[in-house]
Amino acid sequence: MKLSLVLLICFALAACSTKTEKREKNLADSINLEVKEVKLKNGMTALIASNHKLPIFSLYLFYKVGSKNEKSGITGASHFLEHMMFKGAKKYGKGIIDFMIEGSGGSTNAYTTNDQTVYYENLPVSQLENILDIEADRMENLLLDKEDFTKERAVVLEERKMRYENSPRGQLYLGLMQNLYVGTPYGTSVIGEIPDLRSVTRDQIHKYFRRFYAPNNLSLVIVGDLDENKTEQILKDKFGELKPSPTVKEDQESLKDELFVPKLKDSKVIAMKGESPSPMFMMAWPTVKAGHPRGYALDVLSSILGSGKSSALINQYILIPRPVATSMYAAHQSLEKSGFFFVGGELVKGIKLEDFRLDLQKKLMGYCQTEITERSIQKIKNNYLVDLYSGLDTNAGLAQFLGERQLLFGDWRFYKKELTLYEKVTVSDVRKECMDVFSRPSIFVSVWDQHK
Amino acid sequence: MIKYLSAFLFLTATFAWADDSFLKSVKRMEWDDLKVVWIEDDKFPNFTASVYIQDGALGDSFPGVTQSMFDQLTSGTSKEGQRELAEFFDFYGANLKHTVTHEYSVFTVQALTKDINPVMGKVCELFKDAQFPESELQSYVSRAKSHLKNLVTSHSNLADRIFRKISLENTPYAQPAEGTLESYGKLSSSILKERLQEIKRAKKVLYIAGPKDVTGMEKTIAKCGWKNETALKRHELKRATGQSQIYLIPVPGANQAQIRIGRFMIRDEIGHKYDQFQFLAGFMGGSFTSKLVQELRVKRGLTYSAGAYVSIQRDYGRAGIITFSKTETTSEAIGIIRDVFGEVSNGKITPKEFSHQQGHEIGSYAFGFEEISAFIGQIMLYDHQGRNLSELVSFPERVAKMTPQELAESTLEVFPWEKQTVVVVGDKSLEKTLSRIRPVRVLNYQDFL
Repeated sequence: MKLSLVLLICFALAACSTKTEKREKNLADSINLEVKEVKLKNGMTALIASNHKLPIFSLYLFYKVGSKNEKSGITGASHFLEHMMFKGAKKYGKGIIDFMIEGSGGSTNAYTTNDQTVYYENLPVSQLENILDIEADRMENLLLDKEDFTKERAVVLEERKMRYENSPRGQLYLGLMQNLYVGTPYGTSVIGEIPDLRSVTRDQIHKYFRRFYAPNNLSLVIVGDLDENKTEQILKDKFGELKPSPTVKEDQESLKDELFVPKLKDSKVIAMKGESPSPMFMMAWPTVKAGHPRGYALDVLSSILGSGKSSALINQYILIPRPVATSMYAAHQSLEKSGFFFVGGELVKGIKLEDFRLDLQKKLMGYCQTEITERSIQKIKNNYLVDLYSGLDTNAGLAQFLGERQLLFGDWRFYKKELTLYEKVTVSDVRKECMDVFSRPSIFVSVWDQHK
Repeated sequence: MIKYLSAFLFLTATFAWADDSFLKSVKRMEWDDLKVVWIEDDKFPNFTASVYIQDGALGDSFPGVTQSMFDQLTSGTSKEGQRELAEFFDFYGANLKHTVTHEYSVFTVQALTKDINPVMGKVCELFKDAQFPESELQSYVSRAKSHLKNLVTSHSNLADRIFRKISLENTPYAQPAEGTLESYGKLSSSILKERLQEIKRAKKVLYIAGPKDVTGMEKTIAKCGWKNETALKRHELKRATGQSQIYLIPVPGANQAQIRIGRFMIRDEIGHKYDQFQFLAGFMGGSFTSKLVQELRVKRGLTYSAGAYVSIQRDYGRAGIITFSKTETTSEAIGIIRDVFGEVSNGKITPKEFSHQQGHEIGSYAFGFEEISAFIGQIMLYDHQGRNLSELVSFPERVAKMTPQELAESTLEVFPWEKQTVVVVGDKSLEKTLSRIRPVRVLNYQDFL
């Protein structure tokens, strides 16, 4: 999960115009999302939230399966399966699902990450029962048609080229993950390694499907123009009789956090040849997993360094008379089992990469003293608030917000805890994290056409 | 399986959320001589203010002047430098954005409602007193040139840029709204100041969305120094001529080829066929079930995506297909697109395909009003095109009355193969296979930077 949107909520009632205004009540109690939670006997969790502005709704299904669950030989299985989920099931057969959704005015798509596979649909409210029937059908009885499987393999290979081989940015991110998390389940590509994509069989994907596509590995969220009681009943009708996976809990629990710890004892510099005339780089330091209390100060730190024109990196590397970079950014990436802080950017042609790297390292440590102030923290909080409103402006935005918390923390109400944690972030917290993270071993990856 | 499909189509055919209730939230006002459109929205205590300016890249004396002017609007006033201005807007969490099209520009501000006056007040200071300091400008030029030189890393963006230039050749719309390596070197503070003055004189409409408090910005806006004097300069274009070549632009390290196929249309060709052309674009590409995605991806696995568009401004329109394929299957993909154009033009459209697209257009209609920025965008475009908002209300009804014959005619009008410009950005080895479709002209990508 990237920088938490929850952070934005926590300042909803906070004064934003000056740093001296006081908050009169506990911020964690100031925002209350009204959500109906439904727990089915088979272990499935569903969240329902109403918004009657328009006769539409958004449905999100969060399956707790991603590249972290894959083994050598079947890398990319989660993502390949994501593609195949649109190819038909027993009741809604080959080529039917997309036509049914789009023919009614809806849209659908999915994405796969290291930790999760998410399917979503936006539809007119008249289609609620139909889409839930489709989702239940494909969870239980996916076709995995042989002919479609072969065709989709070619599509996935093309997607891989598009996202990695033909994209220096994708190449950079993949290089970072493979090196930072070498030897851990996060050290593979989400789309999969090419030999595995070429060799993976239908049977292997089917077994993988059976392991992870079950009601007790799913968090489902619906937001829109709904009758909550009626929606609950439909959910029970469609999903209530589906059998839970007897092994998925054990499967998930076998992935201990220790398996995901980066084994970075010394700093590393990695140069990758790519089709970029100017050097692109990412520099990363291992941190903490999603939900860890320290992560919230790291989120704030990343925004102070790299968000907005007044941020430290943009001010000191871009908006100067002789710019060193054309883009600079910083973020704290919180994954389910681990996390890392990173800084990245694209340099102006002619800048010496090694000189830049050394300068950046030095400056980052200096920022811990110069850039972290009461005002800079308040500024970040103000920005988060504005972003929150735009993030929750749609049914899909709220559904995603709730689902991510349910999947990662097992409770959508976790945002309350996050509110409190963000509320408590102080200058000394951020400085402490800053000093700590930048004194650790790092990994510096670059892509450039001048590299050998 | 068919019974389920039929059930869906029946539902979509009867689905009709199309009344004018949403228009009740749209109020038109005048603040002195400034036209204002307010969309009342009290979901959150924030606001969006978008000023539509009837002057865009067509008014540039050389490429990129308007875009650069807006890019540098916060680079300094006589009282404050770039850093102070950045600190001010960032502190309030104010989001400033701009879009420059050829015919118009849009400057947008988003912030919390309680901060309307300080934020909009500072925005007005920018319009009144932006100085475009040379030191900041040179830094900007250096970054912009570096960015352009690195455009070769994004074959898709490069293909879009080259396609515009080639497909609109010999029209005033051919030059990019962004600058070029050559034009960035010509920028100066005085040129940007002069352009700002022209922009201030151009006709404007202010679109605001938010709770009632947002109308309180009237007094602040009055200090922006905006005039409403000059209207869009109209251009009469000649019809696109026939195309006899494929343009191949080799790029290093390409294992896929970006494919752009399309053309520009003049006012007479567009007529009032907005709905028909929107329907055509949706039918051809974009969604999983669109014709080209089915033919290219689903049936043959030749690509990951295939988009189609027919975008219409006031005096011209552009229609096109955006896709990519492996180097070895690029020619096959182009051939299939050509065949699809031909077949649909000849009326080879099944009732199922047609009613599916009708269902899609009607059912998706309500989503255009969900996000406030999308809603503003729709109203603004209608206003720019000179259309009545009642057309927005009756769109589903009109789609329900469309016929396959109309779709075939639209395809013939928009996508006649002989008029399509074909641009391929990819490996140089493509020259041989592409020449089986049309003679190939090889161009250097650096000439388009």
